[in-house]
Amino acid sequence: MDNSFSSEVLLSVLDKISRFPTRNAFCIDEEHYTYAQFGQCVSKVRSQLTKTNYSNTKVGLVINDDLETYAAIFALWMEGDCYVPLHPDWPMERCLDICEQVELDLVLDSSEKSRYENVQVLKTSELEYTVDCLEPKQGVSDDELAYILFTSGSTGKPKGVQLSRKNLASFIDAFFDIYPMDENDRCLQCFDLTFDLSIMSYLAPLLRGACVYTVPPDEIKYTYIGSLIEDVQLTFALMAPSTIKYLRPYFDEMDCTSLKHSLFCGEALHEDVTKAWSECAMNAVIDNVYGPTEDTIFCSTYRFNRASNNKSHNGVLSIGKPMKNCGMVIFDEQHNECAVGEMGELCLSGPQLTMGYYKNDEKNKESFFVKDGVRWYRSGDLCYKDKDGDIMYSGRLDHQAKIQGFRVELGEIEFHAKKYLGDKNVVCIAFDNKDGLTEIAIFIESEEFNTNELIAYMNTKMPSYMIPKRFFFVPVFPLNANDKTDKVKLKAMIQ
Amino acid sequence: MNRNEIIEKTTAIFHEIFKDDTIVLRDDMTAADVENWDSLTHMLMITRVEEVFGIKFKLKELNKLKMVGDLISTIEVKLS
Repeated sequence: MDNSFSSEVLLSVLDKISRFPTRNAFCIDEEHYTYAQFGQCVSKVRSQLTKTNYSNTKVGLVINDDLETYAAIFALWMEGDCYVPLHPDWPMERCLDICEQVELDLVLDSSEKSRYENVQVLKTSELEYTVDCLEPKQGVSDDELAYILFTSGSTGKPKGVQLSRKNLASFIDAFFDIYPMDENDRCLQCFDLTFDLSIMSYLAPLLRGACVYTVPPDEIKYTYIGSLIEDVQLTFALMAPSTIKYLRPYFDEMDCTSLKHSLFCGEALHEDVTKAWSECAMNAVIDNVYGPTEDTIFCSTYRFNRASNNKSHNGVLSIGKPMKNCGMVIFDEQHNECAVGEMGELCLSGPQLTMGYYKNDEKNKESFFVKDGVRWYRSGDLCYKDKDGDIMYSGRLDHQAKIQGFRVELGEIEFHAKKYLGDKNVVCIAFDNKDGLTEIAIFIESEEFNTNELIAYMNTKMPSYMIPKRFFFVPVFPLNANDKTDKVKLKAMIQ
Repeated sequence: MNRNEIIEKTTAIFHEIFKDDTIVLRDDMTAADVENWDSLTHMLMITRVEEVFGIKFKLKELNKLKMVGDLISTIEVKLS
């Protein structure tokens, strides 16, 4: 049985806990926690898990910014379980929908007062450490799940992407093939744990004995990161491109000379802001990395070249070449591989690829196909390869947008808005504002009305990043030649 | 510009950015009190404040603007 997850991930973290007891594993809200403290925290959660009666190995985890929440992930993995993150700020209805879909019978929650009532809750912050309980359970297959992340779904219901222990071990193997890291590194973790970029951000450092610096949720993320880099001399940072877009006006005040690796993922990375950033993070290797949740965190990298020209398409930097063992091919509609320079859909394969969406046959049939014995995932990203094999990103094929790095199905917002507005026609369009950041505009086929109640309703259904920031009222939607709503004309109204 | 005028203009910005015409500014108001006030809308709000008042914040100043009262006072100092 293949169990590289146990050796490459679990035993490697345990090795750091025993080798570096006095070094810092985490800095959370300006408080440091050593590897010894982290090990004790994992032990107390794990001990309690072994005494708890639950049958579903998929366990809900309320993702607070504290040591208990991170420790719970490792406690669950050692027990052979999988975590399903539940965001404390998301509407309860959305979280309960996730609980129901996965039929959770246990939720780990470090909150002072849990929001969960009709399910067994293990309050991790009330536990006391007594003895070590760090021996990983034997005989857990790498085909078992490590985590399920729920992303926006166009039918109004979030859909769960399942990632196995093998998927994650493969990512870690490919990651360390490119990026060196050791116990002297100080690494940024600026992502919600509902977002898979968080996993690289906390896991890679812990596998090397480095320290993880989180961003407290009540802070303004962008300005906090801008100061944190200098204050604690961060050496490794994975960020969303929007972070440097917002920080750009302050680059001349920032000292980012400590950064050795600066990675960007989650959205299109523009060449101009990267160039400005490269002068600020003057000692860093800057990489644009790419990958959907379905292919475990990221699967390709492009290294920004300081000295000469960079590869880009419409000002967006190339997403580069596949990482170790990852398959990335551009296919046309008939699943034939596109020629160099020919645009098509980027498809992904290899050991990082998800087994599929949780209990969602329809979506699985739509998103995956087998060709010559290889299983491929349709990314929905429109791309082409150049003669060197570097992949250029050109946009989405579907009705999906990236907002602050989060994947948003515009259809889901339309679904909820329509439900509230009854018979009114609604269209959502993503657009880049004057700062080059993606925002959502909603067009309502109606005379103007006060949108406060609509916004309040949407806030009960979706996270705040999904709520449209611009509202337009159009008495009658324009139609295109095919008698469909002319989104090009609607979009033109935004400027 | 006196403090009341600053508050009046800032209120208009809050109504526009956070999409809620009922917001009444208080000195101790924070992001937790306003539904759509998150990291993203905060940056949009700051940009709008800079435009409307013709001022520019330093990064270090932005990290200290936790409460509406801090924001108003910082604008006041910058305008004087």
